[in-house]
Amino acid sequence: MAYSDVIPSLRSRALVSESRHLLFTVAPGAFWIFVFLVLPSAYLMGVAFMTTGPYGLPEMPLSVESFRRLAGFGFLGWSPGNLYTLLRSLWQTLVSTALVVVIAYPIAYYITTCREKWRPIMLLLVVVPSWTNQVIRTFGWMNLLAPGTPLANLAESVGLIDPNMGLYPSNFAVTLGLVYNFLPFMVLPLYAAFEKLDTAQVQAAQDLYASPVRAFWHAVFPQTLPGLLAGTVLVAIPAFGMYVIPELLGGGKGMMLGNLVANQFAGSANWPLGAAGAILMLIATFIGLFAMRRVGKRLGGGEEVVI
Amino acid sequence: MRKRNLQRGLSAFWWLTLAFLYLPLVVVVVFSFNATNSAAHFTGVSLRWYRRLLGNEEILSAFANSMILAITSSVIALVIGCLIGYGMYRHRHRKLGWLIVLIYLPIVLPDIVFGISEMTFFVQIHRLTGLLQPGLETMIIAHVTFQIPFVALIVYSRFVGLDPSLFEAAKDLYASPWQRALHFMLPTIKPALISAFFLSFTLSIDDFVISFFTAGPESATLPIYIWGAIRKGVSPEINAIATLMIGAVAIAAVLSLLFSYRRPTRSTANHRRGTEESEP
Repeated sequence: MAYSDVIPSLRSRALVSESRHLLFTVAPGAFWIFVFLVLPSAYLMGVAFMTTGPYGLPEMPLSVESFRRLAGFGFLGWSPGNLYTLLRSLWQTLVSTALVVVIAYPIAYYITTCREKWRPIMLLLVVVPSWTNQVIRTFGWMNLLAPGTPLANLAESVGLIDPNMGLYPSNFAVTLGLVYNFLPFMVLPLYAAFEKLDTAQVQAAQDLYASPVRAFWHAVFPQTLPGLLAGTVLVAIPAFGMYVIPELLGGGKGMMLGNLVANQFAGSANWPLGAAGAILMLIATFIGLFAMRRVGKRLGGGEEVVI
Repeated sequence: MRKRNLQRGLSAFWWLTLAFLYLPLVVVVVFSFNATNSAAHFTGVSLRWYRRLLGNEEILSAFANSMILAITSSVIALVIGCLIGYGMYRHRHRKLGWLIVLIYLPIVLPDIVFGISEMTFFVQIHRLTGLLQPGLETMIIAHVTFQIPFVALIVYSRFVGLDPSLFEAAKDLYASPWQRALHFMLPTIKPALISAFFLSFTLSIDDFVISFFTAGPESATLPIYIWGAIRKGVSPEINAIATLMIGAVAIAAVLSLLFSYRRPTRSTANHRRGTEESEP
């Protein structure tokens, strides 16, 4: 090391071998991701600007026809179907993320108040259901919400649904499925935030005769905000692009953007339209990530939001 | 007094949430033993759906596909991801922003966009060159792509957690880089490699959307088979396969719990040994 600092030729040789080392270790993976993900995504974006040919496949010349179709302008004039789907996706994301926060916050706090030896088990209990396949979990909800099941009977007797109708397919079932699916993703980062909570601040607030609500708002809540933000990223972004849950629990009237996109590549194919939908989803994803980063940085806890 | 009430309320809420989390799984397990073909009424215990499962060749081949896919992709991702993880550590003082972006891309990309990009790309490549016919091959490629980042990040964080003087000591002990890799690096990061392999395996088994879009007609995995069965109409056989998969997850959960209780002692032992070695 010392020699290479003194003798320039040795140093340059060391640099060359360092670069070769970098190339040798990083290149295979970088190449893999570039060829099998960056190129395909770039191709998909290109498809969005092509014309729809027979069988729904993309063709030259370039056009913005698919974006017009996505906005609802078809052969028969404007129809609001796609717009509804988009708004529904946004609404479902918003509602399910809010519900997940409301459930996960007390749960994460409760785990930190329990004895230390129980905590790993409790966290595991929260996470384990998400290890089973998403299709199976959603199928479990189909079983629970089907006509004639106790839950459906209860809803029927209260008058929420018509007789002999199950609780699915419905928008309610989709919200339920989303909350169920994403709950663990919010509990984990919130737990991490609660675990390293500085209790001296809470003590100080109490010593200054702060009411419990004010103590919480000024001493506890700001400290958990980084965890809350990380959890929101982990929940809201995949929820917006969800495919399986609305497909199984939502039916035609519960469709979300993910289903709209996927349908264009199966059945009634229209690749450019589907690609345009995918671009919309990507834009939403990156806006979400960017916004969270900005908010996280402003709060000074930017390090916590890793993504 | 007030505090105790709060604690009691939280405890009740905890048990309610657990019920919410496990109810759908419990229903699947219970109805897999149902004697009749009903999703609403439990009429008696029987193993007929499991017996039927064993005779169903489609399910057996779907199981085999799932296993081949998970194991092959995890092994490939382990090798490639491990190299990147080490490269990222060794060259962490350089500006590697582009690499970070590349590694996070598979993680942040929505599943559906990921799957559809790969599908359209593979289809066009196949049309132009005849290579990459949709099937297990394309699925393995897609799975490796989303597994690499996780392996790389696990391996990287293991290296970051090591005492840097260990690397100097290894340099003094072993002459060639290959010897160093074989006798020092691989044994040191073994726990990270094991957990990275299991994470990759789980990610592969758990995945539905990306598999669904990159699969060919002959390469259905278990989740894809179950999906098809659900679309065709609910059959109690699905409950039986699903129960077996839930059982596998339960076993994995117990194992990981045992592992997490053992790990602290081992890592402190490692650390102690490490500091001794680094002292001249």
